[in-house]
Amino acid sequence: MVGYVAGKVGRAVFVAWAAFTVTFVLLFVLPADPVDLLFDPATINTIPPEVKEQVSDNYGFNQPVVLQYFSRLWQALQGDFGNSVQSGKSVTTSIGEVVPHTLVLAFGALFLAIIIAFVIAVVATSTRNQWLRGFVEALPTAAVSVPVFLSGILLLQLFAFRLGWFPAFGDDGWRSLVLPLVALAIPVAGPIAQLLVRSFGTELQSGYVTTSRAKGADRTQIFTRDVFRNASLPALTIAGVTFGNLIAGSVITETVFARTGVGRLTQSAISTLDVPLVQGLVVFVAVTFAVINLAVDLVYPLLDPRLRAVAASTGGRA
Amino acid sequence: MSDLRSSIEQSDSAQRRRWPWIAGALALVAIVVIGVVVARGGSGDTAAGGDGTPVRGGTLNFSLIDYQRSPDPQWGTNYAESLIAGNVTDKLLWQDPKTGDVTPWLAESWTYNPALTEFTFKLHKGVTFSDGLPFDAQAVKLNFDQYIKGDPALGITPNGAPLFPGYVGTDVIDDHTVRLRFERPLASALQAVSFTANAGPGFLSPNTLRLSAEQRSADATKVVGTGPFVYESWKPQVETVLARRKGYDWAPPALKHKGEAYLDRIVFRSIPEASVRTGSLTSGAIDATLDVGTTDEKALIAQGYKIIYRPVSGTAIYFNFNSQLFPTNDIAVRKAIQLGWNRDSLTKTVLTPSYSVASSVLQPSVPGYADYRGSVVRFDRDKAAQILDAAGWKPGPDGIRVKGGKRLEVKLLGINNLVVNTPAYESIQQDLKKIGVDLKLTVVPIPDYTAQQAKAKTDWNVVAANRSRNDPAVLNLQYSPELGNGAYIGPESPGIDQAEVTKVLGQIETTLDPAQRAQYTKAAQDLLLEKYALVNPVYNPSQVIAHAGYIHGIVFDAQSRNSFVAAWKGAADDNRADG
Repeated sequence: MVGYVAGKVGRAVFVAWAAFTVTFVLLFVLPADPVDLLFDPATINTIPPEVKEQVSDNYGFNQPVVLQYFSRLWQALQGDFGNSVQSGKSVTTSIGEVVPHTLVLAFGALFLAIIIAFVIAVVATSTRNQWLRGFVEALPTAAVSVPVFLSGILLLQLFAFRLGWFPAFGDDGWRSLVLPLVALAIPVAGPIAQLLVRSFGTELQSGYVTTSRAKGADRTQIFTRDVFRNASLPALTIAGVTFGNLIAGSVITETVFARTGVGRLTQSAISTLDVPLVQGLVVFVAVTFAVINLAVDLVYPLLDPRLRAVAASTGGRA
Repeated sequence: MSDLRSSIEQSDSAQRRRWPWIAGALALVAIVVIGVVVARGGSGDTAAGGDGTPVRGGTLNFSLIDYQRSPDPQWGTNYAESLIAGNVTDKLLWQDPKTGDVTPWLAESWTYNPALTEFTFKLHKGVTFSDGLPFDAQAVKLNFDQYIKGDPALGITPNGAPLFPGYVGTDVIDDHTVRLRFERPLASALQAVSFTANAGPGFLSPNTLRLSAEQRSADATKVVGTGPFVYESWKPQVETVLARRKGYDWAPPALKHKGEAYLDRIVFRSIPEASVRTGSLTSGAIDATLDVGTTDEKALIAQGYKIIYRPVSGTAIYFNFNSQLFPTNDIAVRKAIQLGWNRDSLTKTVLTPSYSVASSVLQPSVPGYADYRGSVVRFDRDKAAQILDAAGWKPGPDGIRVKGGKRLEVKLLGINNLVVNTPAYESIQQDLKKIGVDLKLTVVPIPDYTAQQAKAKTDWNVVAANRSRNDPAVLNLQYSPELGNGAYIGPESPGIDQAEVTKVLGQIETTLDPAQRAQYTKAAQDLLLEKYALVNPVYNPSQVIAHAGYIHGIVFDAQSRNSFVAAWKGAADDNRADG
């Protein structure tokens, strides 16, 4: 068991280190001199060399690459990713300030998505109307297919600009959260709903349902007592995995709805090649992924006795 | 900036293929529904009356594509930063956007030595920073020293260094007199102290200058200037709120505005998505927006909104030819490209009335601009073909010309930061194909452009961009082999006298006599456009604002940034469509 945990933790640490190292190589070594990116591109050829040198020196870009790598790694281990070259602000502060906004958006959307997915699955498997069933079963695929960008713009056109029910931007109270949440929840709900529809179907065919039915349980009882519980576990798992979808979707949602957040910060950091900030963001996202996966890995054996046996015997891969 | 977004959307599209018809049908339904709603929605705002007497008070809601990454006016290199900073800080001089003359502002008068290495300014008395400190000679010195030389201990980069090359120092002569000294003649220094574009020389309180870059970003209200507005709040990525500065009374005399600003407050809102900016304007959520898409202009005018614009002063969007790389090292190729594309079709198919086709490498508002439509900046396909024929470029099997077994392939590097760029370059590409020139386009976001530009000398035949600076010295900065060297002139450049180019362009920095300066500027344009054909001017980019009819008095300054000191909001809120 200890071996299993150590292995999983080791993997998470490796992911974070690899993210740091790969971004370092990509950002500090490969493209242009990072100093060039600090100036207006139109004036870049007219910057006196001594000025470039001074700026290099300020940011430590003129040190040997290996030295830069280890000093940055050492600082990163202490939570210091340097200062954003576009704002002068510390990278850690910049990210820390926007994380709560994205968390509210991401968890709100995930919660909404799970509700949508359950509604779709319940309707799809419980209705006897063939046409309605077909329509509802097609919804998850459609939800996955519509890009957040498009649904966001459509929602804005309709509910903000035309009907005026919700503000188009801003973060004043719950009303400004509604449209972004819906836009982001739609594509996330898709895969969860697909899985639920399938597992509801499978569970309904299984033996214990037949048994319940034989005992005289009606449809609603079968659903709420048996199927619901058994089919939900895999759906909750996939909800965790859709974290990636949420992050990717939040980049677009935050841009379309002009909100502050990690996604928007990432987008602008990349578009201005704010080297320290991009690196901080990549490591932040990698660590978050690693931690979520680690949590899932560690919680799974607790939930599923079969996995517990595997973990105990191999002490590693599961 | 859409790179990440599009790659995410593309990765989505793999799944999309499975049920394309469902997605399509749903989208269709949505579009129809919206179409119906839009059609029913009526015509939106109508223009307000009430022009004439300015009204005090009110909040101007203004949107733009960028956001202010740092509230420090001397730091930022994007449009939002210079625009907002220009209303929090003032400059020594005000450049008249029409004539290009520099006029008084925080400096009442100025003198310079004949060598143009020393500039002495008499400061306007009674000016204060909004934290109460006086604006005096010492404050000017502290500002210029930190702005041009930087302060590593505070994390302040030398932001002003490109604007003031050869800066030696500032002398405090008395409380209200300062002298700026330079190593070599710098005629453009007078324009530089009025410069309102990116990372400009707006004055900060000595209290602010003591703060590190990090502290300034941590609390925008500590970033204090002498301007008509002060920071009320700053939310990164989202909005900057400015409030009227009480007791302000030193707007540039040229603006003829006395006293404080009319508006109580300006909210600058960053809205990256074009359709959301337009929708927010038409639904009344904002009063004005910058960065209006070319396709939206007509529709907004039809709905009663006002479009105001000013070309971005400085150079036109240029194709700078690499004079040492094959095939643009052949002057025949450069001349053929200048003549080989149709300006009319560019105007008709790509540009709106807010933009114009270039007539020189300089934009017409820059003093000393000359018109070259009669000579090389015109469309003459036959002559272009003739020039190439004479130089030995023979049509090859695919229609592209060949010389010595090598195709006439011209590699262009451009930036996609302006909406018009890519379609404009494509229009030129099509025309040039007809004379047998294969223009290969690589139009990329700013950081990629900057990274590629470092290799431009060996890798790119054409670099396409523009440079915003309302002074003819922009030519020297951009093209002098000793400075920007935009045409990569060197020993490898056949038929070009490097010393001549350096000398002719350098003359612009040696005089402030308008007639003489105009003469030097003309000589520089002659050299760049006609004699050596080092540049192909394309179009004059513009900053375009759409605003509701009840907004008045937004001024475009010489660098086409906006001053809001005289802006006001008419008896207006009542005419705004409800919701």
